[in-house]
Amino acid sequence: MDKQLRIALAGNPNSGKTTLFNKLTGSNQFVGNWPGVTVEKKEGKLIVNKEVILTDLPGIYSLSPYTLEEVVARNYLIEEKPDAILNIVDATNLERNLYLTTQLTELGIPVVIALNMMDLVKKAGDSINVKELSRQLGCQIVEISALKGDGVKEAALAAIEAAKNGKTIPQHSFSGPVEHALAHIEEVTVHNLPEEQQRWYAIKIFERDEKVLEQLKVPADVRAHIENDIAAAEKELDDDAESIITNERYVYIGQMLKGIYKKKGKGQLSVSDKIDKIVTNRILALPIFALIMFLVYALSMGASITDGGISIGTFLTDWANDVLGGAWLTDGSRAILEGWNVAPWLVGLISDGIFAGVGAVLGFVPQMLVLFLMLCLLEDCGYMARIAFIMDRIFRKFGLSGKSFIPMLVGTGCGVPGVMATRTIENERDRRMTIMTTTFIPCGAKMPIIGLIAGALFGGSTWVATSAYFIGIAAIVISGIMLKKTKMFAGDPAPFVMELPAYHLPAWGNVLRGTWERGWSFIKRAGTVIVVSSIVIWFLTSFGSVNGQFGMVDDLYEDDSVVTDEYVAQVAERMGIPEDEVEPMDDSILARVAQPVSLVFKPLGFGDWKPTAATVTGLVAKEEVVANFGIMYAYDDQDGEEELEENGDQIWGRVAEDFNAFSGGHGRLAAYSFMIFNLLCAPCFAAIGAIKREMNSRKWTWFAIAYQCGFAWVTAFIVWQLGRLFAGGMNVIGLILALVMLGLICWQLFKPYKEAQKLTVQ
Amino acid sequence: MMPLVLTDPGEEAVIRKVGGSPEMKKHLEDLGFVAGSTVTVMNTIGGNLIVKIKESRVAISKEMAGKIMV
Repeated sequence: MDKQLRIALAGNPNSGKTTLFNKLTGSNQFVGNWPGVTVEKKEGKLIVNKEVILTDLPGIYSLSPYTLEEVVARNYLIEEKPDAILNIVDATNLERNLYLTTQLTELGIPVVIALNMMDLVKKAGDSINVKELSRQLGCQIVEISALKGDGVKEAALAAIEAAKNGKTIPQHSFSGPVEHALAHIEEVTVHNLPEEQQRWYAIKIFERDEKVLEQLKVPADVRAHIENDIAAAEKELDDDAESIITNERYVYIGQMLKGIYKKKGKGQLSVSDKIDKIVTNRILALPIFALIMFLVYALSMGASITDGGISIGTFLTDWANDVLGGAWLTDGSRAILEGWNVAPWLVGLISDGIFAGVGAVLGFVPQMLVLFLMLCLLEDCGYMARIAFIMDRIFRKFGLSGKSFIPMLVGTGCGVPGVMATRTIENERDRRMTIMTTTFIPCGAKMPIIGLIAGALFGGSTWVATSAYFIGIAAIVISGIMLKKTKMFAGDPAPFVMELPAYHLPAWGNVLRGTWERGWSFIKRAGTVIVVSSIVIWFLTSFGSVNGQFGMVDDLYEDDSVVTDEYVAQVAERMGIPEDEVEPMDDSILARVAQPVSLVFKPLGFGDWKPTAATVTGLVAKEEVVANFGIMYAYDDQDGEEELEENGDQIWGRVAEDFNAFSGGHGRLAAYSFMIFNLLCAPCFAAIGAIKREMNSRKWTWFAIAYQCGFAWVTAFIVWQLGRLFAGGMNVIGLILALVMLGLICWQLFKPYKEAQKLTVQ
Repeated sequence: MMPLVLTDPGEEAVIRKVGGSPEMKKHLEDLGFVAGSTVTVMNTIGGNLIVKIKESRVAISKEMAGKIMV
C-alpha cells in the first residue's frame, strides 16, 4: 500500500486560505492544537482523494522565528516534511505573497501555487503572465477562485501529483557577497544534510537564526569562521544579515514581475480605500463604530421583534424558553413520566433537574448564534480589523492594544470564544492581560443574574443592566492600569501593526461555519457540564441529614418525631434565622456546606447560604446562579408546576424578602454587591478551561483566577461598606478597611509609571 | 530623511530605512516595508496611520511610523 500523502496549505493571512481549505476538505475536518502551543491546527481529508491529508498552516508572512505562527509553520515544514506544499497566493497582492513563496521553495519540498483572485486582477484590467511566472519560480501554478470554487479541484490534483513525483528547485539568487557567504556556509556546516534542504539551512545560518543554530549544534569555531563571511557581507552591503536577505528577496521579486505583471490603472483609490476614508475617518470613526455595535446588540440581544424591537435573537430565545424548554421539555417530559407512573422523585430529577437546567442553557442558543453570526460577518467583511485599529489609541491609554478589544467584544456573547480570540495578539504580555480581563465583560449567561437582581430589588430598572456593563468596562480599565504598573506587565504594549484586508462581501460558507463552530461549543456544554451539574445540585438540595437521619429533607420534615421543636431551635441557631423561618432545605447538604463558606461573603453583605451556594455553583455555569435561586426560593412550590422564567420573576418577591432579611434591611445594596461579585469573579469552568488552554501555564491560570476573585471581592466589599455609609447601618471597621482598599487602588492607579530601568542582556 | 509620520496623506514616498527592535524591524520588512519600496499614507487617526505598501493596506501606530524613514 502507498504511504498516506500529506500536503500542507500555506499562505499569507487574508489570502483566502480558510476559504480554500474549506472548499478542499468540505466537512472532513479535525481541529486540534499544534503541539505545545495554542495555535489552532486544522487538518482535513481532500475531497478529491480521501487518502490525502491536508494540513492548514497558520497564515504567515514569512518563515522567520518571531511570531508563534511562523515558528509553528516552519517547524512543521522542516520536521514533519510534508510531501508537498500548496501555496495559496493572492494575485491582487502578488509581491508580498511571493515573498513567502521564495522562502517556501527553498525548503526542498515540492511547491504548487494556487493563484487566487485572478478574476479580480483581470477585472481591474491588469494581466499576469502566469506561464512565465511559473517558469521563473520553478513551480506549477494553478489559477483558482477560492470563493467561487473555480480551479480548486485542479489545484488539489496538481498538489497530489507534485507530492508523488515533483521537485522544486529555488530559482532566485542573492547578490554576490551573500552568495559567496552562503557557499561557504554550505560547505562547512550543512554538507551532511539532505541536498534539497541545504540551501534553506544555509540561508538561516546566514541570518543568524538562533533556533537553527541551536538545532544544528554548529560548533563554536565553525561559527566564528562563518561569522567572518557574514560580517564581510554585512559590511559590504551596509545592513544586518536578516535585512539583507529580506531586501534582496523583495528586489528579486520586483525585477521578476516587471515583465510579467502588467498594471493598467495606477494610483487610483480602490472601493475599499473609499470606504476606509469614511469608516476610519478621524471624526466619524467612533460614531460609526457605536452605531454598528448598537445594531449588532439590538439584533441579537435587544428587545424582541414582538415587543417593538428588532431582535431576532431575543425573539427566538423567548420561544425556546417558553415553548421548547418550558412546555415541551420540562412539562412534556413530566407528563410522559407521570403517565408511566415513574416515582415522583425521579420525575423531579429528570424534569426539574435535567430538562429545566439544560433548557435554561439551550434557551440562550438563538441569541448566541445571532450574536456570533454578526461578529463573524464583521470579521469576514474586513471591519473587525478596523475596529482594532480605531480602538487602539483608546486602549493604549490603559496599557492594552487595540487587538484586545476583539476578545472583549466576542466575550459579550460567551467568555470561551472570547478568551480564544486573544490568539491574534502577538505580544505575550498583552495577551495574558487580555485573557485575565476579558471575562469581566458580562457574558450572555450573566445577563439573567442581572435580570434577576434588577427585577427582584430594583423594580426592573434598566440602569442595573447598563451599570453592569460599565462595571465590566471599568474593571478592565482599572485592572489594565494597575497591572501595567506591576513588574509582570511592565512595558508598553507592542506597537500596533496589522494588515487591513480589503473590504469584501462576506463569504457565507465561512461565516456560517464560524458561527456554528462557536455556537456548537456552547451547545455541547449544555449537553455535558450542565446536565451533570443539574443532577448534582438537585441532589444536594433535596437530600440531607435531619436530626441524625439521612434522606430526602422534605420527607424527613414531615415526621414530627424526627423534627422536634428542640431540633428546629438548633437549626435556627446554626443558620442564624428565626425558628419560624426554618425550612426543610436548611438541612440539605448544600445548605450545610454553603453555610460555613458564606462567612467569606459576610463582609460583602450577602453572607447567607442561598446566595453563597448560588455563587459557588455559578462556577459550573453562570446560568446556574439563577437556576439555583429558582430551586432554592421556589422550593415550597412542591408540585413544581410553574416553570421558572429566565429572569425568575415568580420568585422575585421571595428573593427580595430574603435579601432584606439577612442584610438587615439593606436588601438592594446587598443584592447589588452580590451582582458585582458574580459579574467579576472567576468565570465558569468552561471559560476557566479556555483560560488554562490559552495561558498554557498552571501558574498563570491560577494567578488569573485569584486576581479575578480578589478584585471582585474587594470591589463588592467597597460597594457594600461605603454604600451603608449613605444607607445607614455602617460598620466603622468595615468602612475604614474599605477606604484603605480604595486608597490602595487609587495609589496603584495614579502612581507614576516606572519603566524598567535595567535592560536585560541576553 | 524624515519619519513616515510626517508625510502628507496621499503622497507617495520611498522608504530609506527601517529602525526599531530587531523583531519589529523584521516584521515590518516581512510585510514589505523594505528600503526602496514606495509607501503612501492613506489615512491618519489620532496619530496612527493606514498606509499602502505593495498592494496591501497596513495599520501602524504612531511609534512604529516614527521608525520608518522616508
